[in-house]
Amino acid sequence: MAAAPKAVEIRGYQVGFGDCFLLSFVYSDTDKRHVLIDFGTTELPTRGTPRKAAKASEHMPQVASHIAKVCGGSLTAVIATHRHADHISGFGTDGRTGKSGETIKAMNPKIVMQPWTEDPEAAKNATKATKESQRSPRSFTAGLTAMHNIAEAIFQLADSRPAWMSPALQKELRFLGMDNIKNKSAVDNLIAMGAAKGAAAVWAHHGSDSGLEKLLPGVKVHVLGPPDLTQTEKIRKMRTTDPDQFWHFLAGPKSLQTAEPLAKGFGNGHAGRSPAVPPEARWFRDRLERMRAEQLLQIVRTLDDQMNNTSLILLFEVFGKKLLFPGDAQIENWSYALEDAPDAARTRELLADVDVYKVGHHGSLNATPKKLLWEDFKRRNKTGSQRLVTLLSTMPGKHGKVANKTEVPRRPLLAALKAETALSSTTDLPFGKKPTFCYQIDVTP
Amino acid sequence: MNNARRPDAVAALPAQRYVTVIAQDPSVRQNGSNGPILMAKIAVPAEDLIPGPIGYRVQVVDYDSTTRRFNGAHDLPDSLANEPPAWAKGDARILDDFRFHAQNVYALVMKTLARFEFALGRRVGWSFRTHQLKVSPHGMLDANAFYSPREEGLVFGYFAGASGETVYTCLSHDVVVHETTHALIDALRERYLDPSSPDQAAFHEGFADVIAILSVFSQPEMVRMLLAPPTKKGGTAALIDKEDVTVDALKQSALFGLAAQMGQEIQGSRGGPLRQSALLAADPRLLDSPEFQEPHRRGEVLVAAVLNGFIHVWASRIQDLGVPDQRSFAVARVAEQGADIADTLATMWIRALDYMPPVHLEFGDALSAALTADTEVRPDDSRYNLREHMRKAFATYGIEPPRSADRETGTWAHAPGGLNYDRVRFESMRSDKDEVFRFLWENRKPLEVELRKGAFTEVLSVRPCVRVGPDGFTLRETVAEYYQVARLTPAELERAGIAVPKNYLTALEEARRAAAERQAKARESAGDDNAPPAGAAGGHDVDDDESLATTPIYGGGVLIFDEYGRLKFHIHNGVFHARRQARRLKYLWETGQLEPGLREARLQAARLSTLHRLRALDARRVPAEGW
Repeated sequence: MAAAPKAVEIRGYQVGFGDCFLLSFVYSDTDKRHVLIDFGTTELPTRGTPRKAAKASEHMPQVASHIAKVCGGSLTAVIATHRHADHISGFGTDGRTGKSGETIKAMNPKIVMQPWTEDPEAAKNATKATKESQRSPRSFTAGLTAMHNIAEAIFQLADSRPAWMSPALQKELRFLGMDNIKNKSAVDNLIAMGAAKGAAAVWAHHGSDSGLEKLLPGVKVHVLGPPDLTQTEKIRKMRTTDPDQFWHFLAGPKSLQTAEPLAKGFGNGHAGRSPAVPPEARWFRDRLERMRAEQLLQIVRTLDDQMNNTSLILLFEVFGKKLLFPGDAQIENWSYALEDAPDAARTRELLADVDVYKVGHHGSLNATPKKLLWEDFKRRNKTGSQRLVTLLSTMPGKHGKVANKTEVPRRPLLAALKAETALSSTTDLPFGKKPTFCYQIDVTP
Repeated sequence: MNNARRPDAVAALPAQRYVTVIAQDPSVRQNGSNGPILMAKIAVPAEDLIPGPIGYRVQVVDYDSTTRRFNGAHDLPDSLANEPPAWAKGDARILDDFRFHAQNVYALVMKTLARFEFALGRRVGWSFRTHQLKVSPHGMLDANAFYSPREEGLVFGYFAGASGETVYTCLSHDVVVHETTHALIDALRERYLDPSSPDQAAFHEGFADVIAILSVFSQPEMVRMLLAPPTKKGGTAALIDKEDVTVDALKQSALFGLAAQMGQEIQGSRGGPLRQSALLAADPRLLDSPEFQEPHRRGEVLVAAVLNGFIHVWASRIQDLGVPDQRSFAVARVAEQGADIADTLATMWIRALDYMPPVHLEFGDALSAALTADTEVRPDDSRYNLREHMRKAFATYGIEPPRSADRETGTWAHAPGGLNYDRVRFESMRSDKDEVFRFLWENRKPLEVELRKGAFTEVLSVRPCVRVGPDGFTLRETVAEYYQVARLTPAELERAGIAVPKNYLTALEEARRAAAERQAKARESAGDDNAPPAGAAGGHDVDDDESLATTPIYGGGVLIFDEYGRLKFHIHNGVFHARRQARRLKYLWETGQLEPGLREARLQAARLSTLHRLRALDARRVPAEGW
């Protein structure tokens, strides 16, 4: 029985705007154990003439087959960092991704890890986090569900493109809507895989046991995020603010006041039966409609951020090397691990000499904390095998706007990644009739 | 002489009329939690309204952009006698009566405007060109209310409460006054929406809260109810014990008491400003801590300082009014004092706006402005000791008058001597911007106003005003505001001695290069043979012309003249004051608010609707961690 891996192969798969990483721990030539971290897309790159985005239903099964080949048909673990479509759509077993989820299921993963927010039991637990809080795991997860309803409504609204919606707004709402829609098929498959015979479902939070170490001797796995409700309650004590507000829109009844009814009431413009708008009121009426559009965007963006913040942040330690996979965690999630947690100082020390960093949230502006994380990375600007390896899975032009510095991937970050690290990006993979499915990094002692 | 029946006698129109509004919000009841809503009668400027209601300064547009429904043009009652009885009684039916909502919001906006005009001693126009502020009492489904300068209006949202009934932000006294105050600060100090420093970013919110909360406390009925909550039998106590009018006891009953009674859902949607501020223990280090760099949190420190000052003035006044060994006090008188002091403080702080520098405001400047404004109109402070208490309260939160202020009093130093009035005309100086500019020009040396090297200076306004103190003392002044901007290249900044963050210079260079590439590509793809080749005379070649990458830096000042046209105060921030400008640029760059562009760096203006939402969510934006 092998005591520790001799090498780790990391494959970053081409999934357009999405994440799909396969970690293969090489114990011997015949003993390789594989961990799949995320498998989802919201849009694939374009190809052909005229250029059209590739179909997920064609491409994703091919990726799944490639994974199956590399793994010899067997996966040790599947990790879904959070439930955004661009991280889990590939686990779906319906036609949208060509039933790629069936292929994954057939690989019988022994562990399926997701954040605690995905635990169906959490959805039933109405125990409040603390005396002062109004939140319980149930209210929290109810919030996540409500977000799906809102996303669905917004997506439909964007599709129908009412007069007051500009094309730019429509594009952004469609994207955010689509990413936040409940992927029932994928979610069900993940639960099913975790409930299968011989498998275990792990619901993780900061500091919890990943369950992976038994299956991967010689590998240490730290779960750095997301915090659970009692952990965030403890932070509240240090700040003089309302304990309910940390998780913002997911906080509970207060939070959904606007979002849910907004979703239900959408597009039900009762144009009839109201008094006609008199001439002197029309000018401001038009301005109100414009303000409403902005409001919608603000709300949707906030919801989207919340979902990102439920991401698992995982650190793998093997033969002295450290591999950091933070999903789409944004600053609020990171700040728990790096500032507020009791062991924050130790965590920062641990992360300072990370060898491999999967760039958070496809290279967005607020998923790689600059001062708290990036500037501490010691291996930036080193040469040769000492240099920090970074992995990026993204597609420009889909999310955010250059004009307000929110484009994904963010240019200054990209520039820093290129200048100071050894960067591999899915944007560099050739994508035509015969695409290159992944890039591969080998990590050795 | 019998004047009663002279047919050509014209009675003067009344200047004001009384209108019923909700005293605080629907949660504050007359007798315990099931009683009718506590109402108040307030005085507003009298005018003939047309349905909307539309008046000379306000236009209420009851359009709901979520349901896309127009709720009608409301025809308000023209007098108290004609109001439906349910309104004065505070019957729960008013919650669904949109006509009442329109009156509530109209009256509170007009009342706030009138308060400002009285305090400042002159008419105050809005920040935009048109005469009327548009107000929508049910603008959209949203747990939010905001002022939009671009759309020239106030939008009040509504949302479903936890128990299913609808919560209307337009029925909350403090919310309406808060939003109106934003509009008025914007009218008087337009540049305060520009990013400049953590204090300035916090000022709009903090100051709007100060006026809103003081406005609520200015109502004696409200204060009385807080001091002596109705007993089960329905009466109220006539006396209050000595222990219950100490500083701590008043804090508890007035500040916390009001915070507890205010509609929790509405307050939650705004971050609970009164409660947050009341909870803030005095600590001079607060403003330096990371948490209080957030504008909405920082604003709470300003509110906490003012409210602390208020409570101290009130408590000491009560003691002063009593005799030694007095054990109990008349509630009505104590409440009256509280309301009067709150009212006086609100007036003082509104007047302070005229004495604050028009750009780059820090909290210490606001304090000196308030102290100066009050001293000018109320030189004798022995009755209330208002200024001493205010100064002390601010000091406990670490806010001190700036170094340039008078060491003893904290007020602004008087204007320098040696000013030349020979070449300006007294009469014109009271209203003519050009004449004031001439005065600046003639006196630029003693006033230290840099008018020559590349700073564009404009006098924005000149207004005569008449301010009246509580004891009838009348102060006539002329207030003029000027504004300066200089757009400097990196080399020019260096020559002016203004240090610039290194990464910013790199970013400027990058932006220029990116723009040059774009231009070149555009020329290529256009395939335009007529386009001048790079470097040709007359063609604007981005590559060679360094002067295009400029950074704007701002300055400005306020000139306060006495009734004889002599300058009393010059409160300003010089455009070429190197150290302060360097500090500002550093802050703006680190918080991502300074964008390098092709021609010049741009500042991202604050968006109040977003700020309000972020406040409700208590979001930490931590821009320093972003890319």
